[in-house]
Amino acid sequence: MHLTLRVWRQKDAWDPGGFQTYSTTDVSTDMSFLETLDLVNEDLILKGEDPIAFDHDCREGICGTCGIVIDGHPHGPLPATTTCQLHMRLFNDGDTITVEPWRARAFPVIKDLVVDRRSLDRIIAAGGYISVSTGRAPEAIAIPVPMDTTEMAMDAASCIGCGACVAACPNASAMLFTAAKVAHLGLLPQGQPEGYDRVLNMVTAMDDEMFGACTNTGECEAACPKKIFIKWIARMNRDHVMATILSRPTTRRAHGVSSRAALTDR
Amino acid sequence: MVVDVSSHDVLLVGGGGAGLRAAIAVAEFNPKLSVAVVSKVYPMRSHTVSAEGGAAGAVAADDSLDEHAYDTVSGGDWLCDQDAVELFVDEAPKELLQMEHWGCPWSRTPDGRIAVRSFGGMKKKRTWFASDKTGFHMLHTLFQTSLKYDPIVRYDEWFVTTLLVDDGRVQGVVALELMSGKIQAITAKAVILCTGGCGKVFPFTTNANIKNGDGMALAFWAGAPLKDMEFVQYHPTGLPFTGILITEAARSEGGYLVNKDGYRYLQDYDLGKPQPEPVLRSMELGPRDRLSQAFIKEEERGRTIEGPHGHVVNLDLRHLGEEKIDSRIPFVRELCRKYQNIDPVREMIPVRPVIHYAMGGVHTNKDGATPVEGLFAAGEVACVSINGANRLGSNSLPELLVFGARAGVAAASFASDQEAPSSHVMAQANDERRRLEERYLRKTGGTERIATIRKEMQATMEEGAGIYRNGEALQKSTDKLRELQDRFQNILIEDDSRTFNTELTSALELAYMLEVAASIVQCGLNRTESRGAHQRTDFPGRDDDNFLAHSLVYRNDDGSSRIEYLPVTITRWPPSERVYGK
Repeated sequence: MHLTLRVWRQKDAWDPGGFQTYSTTDVSTDMSFLETLDLVNEDLILKGEDPIAFDHDCREGICGTCGIVIDGHPHGPLPATTTCQLHMRLFNDGDTITVEPWRARAFPVIKDLVVDRRSLDRIIAAGGYISVSTGRAPEAIAIPVPMDTTEMAMDAASCIGCGACVAACPNASAMLFTAAKVAHLGLLPQGQPEGYDRVLNMVTAMDDEMFGACTNTGECEAACPKKIFIKWIARMNRDHVMATILSRPTTRRAHGVSSRAALTDR
Repeated sequence: MVVDVSSHDVLLVGGGGAGLRAAIAVAEFNPKLSVAVVSKVYPMRSHTVSAEGGAAGAVAADDSLDEHAYDTVSGGDWLCDQDAVELFVDEAPKELLQMEHWGCPWSRTPDGRIAVRSFGGMKKKRTWFASDKTGFHMLHTLFQTSLKYDPIVRYDEWFVTTLLVDDGRVQGVVALELMSGKIQAITAKAVILCTGGCGKVFPFTTNANIKNGDGMALAFWAGAPLKDMEFVQYHPTGLPFTGILITEAARSEGGYLVNKDGYRYLQDYDLGKPQPEPVLRSMELGPRDRLSQAFIKEEERGRTIEGPHGHVVNLDLRHLGEEKIDSRIPFVRELCRKYQNIDPVREMIPVRPVIHYAMGGVHTNKDGATPVEGLFAAGEVACVSINGANRLGSNSLPELLVFGARAGVAAASFASDQEAPSSHVMAQANDERRRLEERYLRKTGGTERIATIRKEMQATMEEGAGIYRNGEALQKSTDKLRELQDRFQNILIEDDSRTFNTELTSALELAYMLEVAASIVQCGLNRTESRGAHQRTDFPGRDDDNFLAHSLVYRNDDGSSRIEYLPVTITRWPPSERVYGK
């Protein structure tokens, strides 16, 4: 198969960047998209040119490292597919494919197709964990949790943190990511005690990172390789309203939250 | 130019399951200690993420710690240290419950209890799971939990090139920041290696590209012995070509392994009689070493299927039905559809044995301490040993929790009353920077390609140290590896850039792998018996008189190495025959 790739090249965060065109032959339909980029890079290295930088690791669709906008779609046009899972059988001989990095203010480009996604970590660091001490119960299966609840929590926890939802969103919002993290712990009994603080702090952290707001476009759900439901956003919004009304924040990331809560605090 | 330095109390090399568990243990043990997690990948990309099937911990009403211990000891062909196994099975359920408290979404039964599934070589259902993405959910839980501790500082995408050792004590590392190319010393009072396995010394493996035995080589060069390196596990069901793993859970849910005639061939290899429903410790739920060996025998009989990427057998899940596949092993279906372009609901999955796990590793005691002061290890990189000659599926996830936590506590306790690292180590760090620049970054005139040497190493490992081995082939591999070591001195490095210089890291990783590969064949050549995953066609029987002992390979001062043997600790289960299918 012969393909033409228009690839975004950018030396570093300060370089304005631009598209460069590469043509490649010998692409087999059994190759993954990343293997096609490998092929282009082998060629570039032989020619003594700088290979295209792109993130990748497990290449089995679970680690969340890879992420490229392909023809305008994060992870390519197939639903529920990571870039490493995208195979060339989807394309036709002679196609021209446009390849870009995630584009969002909160994800600065490091080089070419590699972006800095640590802003997502900082959202988690604001409350995406259980810090109440639950001790070590003597009997592991003595505290039952309804199977449906676990399944729902697991669906939410399936987020691999790739950032495709942000890249797909016209507002570059991280609502789907944050909502999935909030829902995962918020559904489980051990996540209840800190539930309100968690949602307030994580949403504040998300805003602080300059992610945009949600306007219910739904592109995030369509782009998500792990089928995270948009309904988690509704759930988070509900939790956030409740938390704003009821909570008396006590945690370390109380700034920005306390003023809002103070209005309702007698 | 003098290298920069940063200082911490405890330093972890590797940010996967064991590393993060250890970091949390340190932070909990003594909140005043500063903890550095130095990882060559972002922690969430660590290979723990790929673990699918589950984590064993005896909790079911009909189960007991003793049964878990016995299955582990017999599965390991009596090479496990039984005191370590007893401790392990006792702590495993507690650690898994701790994960629950931290928010790990374990799968549950309809009545709300923790669900357990059967697994190969286990006599009872005791494998906890989170769908078939157990490692993923565990790693996310550990990562998110680690973010709540301020003393934990991460060095993501920093590549460790050497350990700093002064006065017989490990006092830090030298690391390369991949993004900038900066070489820096990071000192610490205790170092815990959590770098995982070394599958990439073989050509066909489930392991990610980052699994190059880094920690094993680093420890070996620092004077710690490697233990039981000859025991390398083949997982019986990998997808041909990609080597992507089809989890053992596919068989515990009831999948059949069939040969080209559609015959469940395992019945011909002392693994029991076929039943429609899965039977524990029988047939498809036998241990991994025996199943992989049966594949080779089947291939010799001409009953496997020739495919475009070598011979395969079929894993048949069709009788399970779409609903069960989607609820219990959805990732298996996803992997098959995306990578193999087949749907297991309607088609059989072609599989063949694939390198999966290193039972051996850095010699440690039950607290993760190596014989070198200040150096600890946990997870696949270490060998305690609870896995003996063959690890049972679903024992490695609890292992990294139990021994990650123990190593964390031990290292924290050690670091709490140590002096700050000596100034001598800075001289060493400067030497290391010079070595990296002279040997790699500013090297000119080499002729040997990294990829060529790596390929030849992988080929000779498969040739000499595969599922069945013999003295002649092992000797040939030994000679070949020595030749490759020599040729490595003359490698060609064209990339002299500082930012993400993957050619440099590939060269450093190749150096690690050549060292680890040599230890595997050396121990394999010396062990003239067959036990677990180490099968010698020229010595087909188990020899408890001479080899009920761990191989310990040490580095001599002149760069050569020697092997010593350490007797196995037996507490309650004297060696006997491994019986499956009865």
